[in-house]
Amino acid sequence: MDPLLLGLIVAIATILVLFSGVSVAVGLLIVSGGFLIVFDGVRSLELMPEIFFGKLDNFALLSIPMFIIMGASIASTRAGADLYEALERWLTRVPGGLVISNLGACALFSAMSGSSPATCAAIGKMGIPEMRRRGYPDSVAAGSIAAGGTLGILIPPSVTMIVYGIATETSIGRLFLAGVIPGMLLVALFMVWSLYQTWKTGDVRLIGATPYTWKQKIEILPRVLPFLAIILGVLYAMYGGIATPSETAAVGALLCLLIAMIIYKLWNPRALWMVLRDSTRESVMILFIIAAAGVFSYMLSSLYITQSIAEWIGTLDVNRWVLMGAINVFLLIAGFFLPPVAVILMAAPILLPIITTAGFDPIWFAVVLTINMEIGLISPPVGLNLYVINGIAPEIKLKTILYGSLPYVGCMIVAIILLCLFPGIATWLPNAVMGGA
Amino acid sequence: MTGQTSGAVARTGNNPFLRIVAAISMLAGWMSATMILSAVLITCQMIWIRFVLNGSTIWQTEAVVYLMVAATLLGLPYVQRLRGHVNVDLIPLALPRPLRKGLAVLTLSLSIAVVGVMLWYGSEFWHFAWSRGWTSDTVWAVRLWIPYLALPVGFGLFLLQLVADLVAVILDIDTPFGLEDA
Repeated sequence: MDPLLLGLIVAIATILVLFSGVSVAVGLLIVSGGFLIVFDGVRSLELMPEIFFGKLDNFALLSIPMFIIMGASIASTRAGADLYEALERWLTRVPGGLVISNLGACALFSAMSGSSPATCAAIGKMGIPEMRRRGYPDSVAAGSIAAGGTLGILIPPSVTMIVYGIATETSIGRLFLAGVIPGMLLVALFMVWSLYQTWKTGDVRLIGATPYTWKQKIEILPRVLPFLAIILGVLYAMYGGIATPSETAAVGALLCLLIAMIIYKLWNPRALWMVLRDSTRESVMILFIIAAAGVFSYMLSSLYITQSIAEWIGTLDVNRWVLMGAINVFLLIAGFFLPPVAVILMAAPILLPIITTAGFDPIWFAVVLTINMEIGLISPPVGLNLYVINGIAPEIKLKTILYGSLPYVGCMIVAIILLCLFPGIATWLPNAVMGGA
Repeated sequence: MTGQTSGAVARTGNNPFLRIVAAISMLAGWMSATMILSAVLITCQMIWIRFVLNGSTIWQTEAVVYLMVAATLLGLPYVQRLRGHVNVDLIPLALPRPLRKGLAVLTLSLSIAVVGVMLWYGSEFWHFAWSRGWTSDTVWAVRLWIPYLALPVGFGLFLLQLVADLVAVILDIDTPFGLEDA
């Protein structure tokens, strides 16, 4: 059979199986096993466990559970609320300071915890009622937190970026750096929109500054700075060439656990088990998808599908930006339904040869892809963050949350357009710090 | 939309088989978590030896990788029990209860079949490593049947949990896909 036609059949079968409600990783194994039996015979199945094991047998993957433990330790404490309070106290005199401190807290906390739902819950629980009390419109209160929560998969250290780095064999260090400026750009766009919308529809009379004394501003810092110091220390150790991402992440994980125990008194065995349990659940889920996607990509390659698609795209006479547009639409739709990690692992082996053939930088593409995945997290009607916000702020109508999030989706699309026009936004920092690729 | 913790932990009712499987999966989860924690500690010890004591390390890198692989495989049944394996539940959500149950039986049966394949060939692979005395080509030269043992054990326990989930759905002890009726 023509490999391209076979590729189409595999794509349809994969969509059908994944939409049946089976778990993503098992679904990938089912599709791989089914096509291997039909086209390569039953004996080809004997390679599946070996490939599965081989995909996991990689020291770089260790950074995933390590960064997850770091995030889960931080998320289990009051660090989110403290971070929010600290920024509020320090930024109170800035016009619209509350929404700015909320977005800043979201960006920092989502980067530290690596979890969108945890960020929405930690910052939103305090931030949303406070913003509503102080005259900010509901759409801004809900939308800014939902959007801010997505930043963690872009701003380092990001598990999504690690998975992309492993799937495409690109430098994790470069990927982390590539996310920094686009992350700040997104925060800035979110802030500009929030302030504009607040000025237009909010109750401006109430948006006054709450005075804080210097004592109040200083006393909160010891509860916030240690975690930030660890994250910065981990990144410094990575870029200083002192240790690999996995090694620094392991030290970071241990230190975050210790700080959670010492500063936030998390020494109750039950609370510690919850951190370990959540980390185990998240890590096993991601590592299982990685291993299953490895088997899936072996099947694609064994049936000559990956190579044929890349060759076919190479012969197409389309403008490379049209191609990039089509890829973005595909990623956007996939991101509505699947978690970022699954999309990256399934799409990367097929898309990477296409984008490199078309002359795009894989590091730049990682940032575009990640912003697409962020859009999926807040796109009505399927975005996970919208339902988290609905859960923690039931007094805001779901419709307001859905409409409130749309302008932030617009901000992300603007960011993608800016990245296409000025790729340096993503590539300048990694090149400046680590030299040209 | 994607579901991960759409329902609470898989229900067992008073069924002894389901309760025993749940206990085994819980134990496997504890072992998996302990292995991940051990990997953190061993990596920190490795960094201490290498960067502080300026010594060389032999077994640590390999050990933590094998611990992570084993933690993943042993964690499969536990995460299945916690409904932590992410899925797309858009179609199950749209179906009426009887069809949803039918779809759950079908997907669980397919899952059991493919995990059965992984268990079968995983056991064969482990047996090769054991009977032929394979060792890793590193200084530590670990006997490979030890890390490969995670394949049959992990997939075996995962299979058991999937069978338990199927039984729970068929006997109406648990809801299909862990979804509650609206």
